[in-house]
Amino acid sequence: MSSKTYKVVTNNPLVKESLGESTELYYFEDDTHRDILERVRDFVHQGYRILTHPLAGSVKPWETPYRSVMITAEGEDKIDIFSLEIIEQAIYALEKLKARPVVWSEKVLVDFQLIDLSLIQSALPSAEAQGRQ
Amino acid sequence: MKLELGYIDIKGIRFDDYNAIEDGVLVINPEELVKPVLEDELIKSAHFEIAEPGESIRITPVKDVIEPRVKVEGPGAIFPGMIAKVDTVGSGRTHVMRGMAVVTAGPIVGFQEGIIDMTGPGADYTPFSQLHNLVLAMEMEDSGASAHEYEKAARMAGLATAARVGELARELVPDEIEVFETPTIAQSYSDELKDLPRVAYVMMLQSQGLLHDTYCYGVDAKRTLTTMISATEVMDGAIVSGNCVSACDKNTTYHHLNNPVIQDLFKQHGKTLNYVGTIITNENVYLADKLRSSDWTAKLADFLSLDAAIVSQEGFGNPDTDLILNCKKLEAKGIKTVIITDEYAGQDGKSQSLADADVAADAVVTGGNANETIVLPPMDHVIGTLNYVDKIAGGHDGSLRPDGSIEAELQVITGSTNEMGFNRLSAR
Repeated sequence: MSSKTYKVVTNNPLVKESLGESTELYYFEDDTHRDILERVRDFVHQGYRILTHPLAGSVKPWETPYRSVMITAEGEDKIDIFSLEIIEQAIYALEKLKARPVVWSEKVLVDFQLIDLSLIQSALPSAEAQGRQ
Repeated sequence: MKLELGYIDIKGIRFDDYNAIEDGVLVINPEELVKPVLEDELIKSAHFEIAEPGESIRITPVKDVIEPRVKVEGPGAIFPGMIAKVDTVGSGRTHVMRGMAVVTAGPIVGFQEGIIDMTGPGADYTPFSQLHNLVLAMEMEDSGASAHEYEKAARMAGLATAARVGELARELVPDEIEVFETPTIAQSYSDELKDLPRVAYVMMLQSQGLLHDTYCYGVDAKRTLTTMISATEVMDGAIVSGNCVSACDKNTTYHHLNNPVIQDLFKQHGKTLNYVGTIITNENVYLADKLRSSDWTAKLADFLSLDAAIVSQEGFGNPDTDLILNCKKLEAKGIKTVIITDEYAGQDGKSQSLADADVAADAVVTGGNANETIVLPPMDHVIGTLNYVDKIAGGHDGSLRPDGSIEAELQVITGSTNEMGFNRLSAR
């Protein structure tokens, strides 16, 4: 039985629906975008490495409520500095720009879910090809 | 490779019941030109409108901007791998309808982006306000097809329309001809060139998924290793945009065709520098891909024995990581590197501009701060729809004011902070 070498941290219900069977998820339905980034940072502190960039896509993190980030399936004994720098930069990017809130319609929320799903799907061929992460 | 570009200067566009170019005026039969577009079942409705510089017209949401061209001599045809077959382009002669563009507009998803104002303060921030624009406004069928399919339909409609319009220039005598020649490695060591600094252009292509893709000869840039291309191939449409998120810093197909770094490197080639080649690389979401691609950028640069490199990027956020990786690794090879980027430095301009940084990135050209706010006055006519302006990247609730004016960040304007350095606004 093959076990995946990666997992996806996400708050995106469309990711859960589309990838839940084939991919191991850490799904947090009620998390905000910021919450997800902080959870990823927590994982990094526990020795997990980040496999996809937390600022994937050009939709701004303060606009889309959804974020999926791929991490290693297992934590290691040491903290990966590259992962730490990337997640800190991502949280900073979200914090530094105090955008005014937008209330999105249901249709637009679905579109954001779709974009986020597409972004994480774009990483799957590489993740699968790589084998050992 | 040697390519001649023959420019046919377009001074205006008008509609009539035939198609031609007469004394620099493009005459279009809009009913005839729209027919092949409507053959795609996914497109519910489509029509053409004209937007001239100085007119009180707002085009939104903008998907792509494409310059009509046609290959008149040499192998292949415009937009290889997309509209034309995959034969290698970049040599012979190509006619360019200079001064105009085909602009595709219309919703693909519910959040939209891209405004082009043809007059007013917004016009200063987009190069497309200076062009005679033939706008193809489309609406997609609500048929349950995927957003991927809608995006592809809109993209192909735009490219095919630009190619059809370009055909009208095939038999004309150009107003001006410019010759571009890219050297082989052996030629780059000729007596005329060997004492000049060896410089290459590293072009980063957005490659992340739906609405975030770029194609090279029809190949999705996500699936390429870093590679090389002749600058003249780019002039024949080898690279096209499937990217329509982040209006300010996505590279339209027009930007690719008229790449300003390529243009300026050619101007200096043989004089102050030796433009030895063009490297294309991608901006994938998967971090190991970023590491691999930037390793290959540095490897190819080393193989070319470069003294210096210019790196341009595309998009917001994670591409900054690719940009800094490319820069660091080039500098580590002793290759002096200049990067071109835009900034998200906050509305007061005081925050760190990029999502990544390194001491090696000490030579930076900025396309501007995308968070700068602007008020765009109402226009007399909107091509497309304003329904989406509150949903436009850089907008917010209340962005669209009752009088039709828009308060938003520069992000909303197509091409406003372009990261190839296309624009000419500067600051002291």
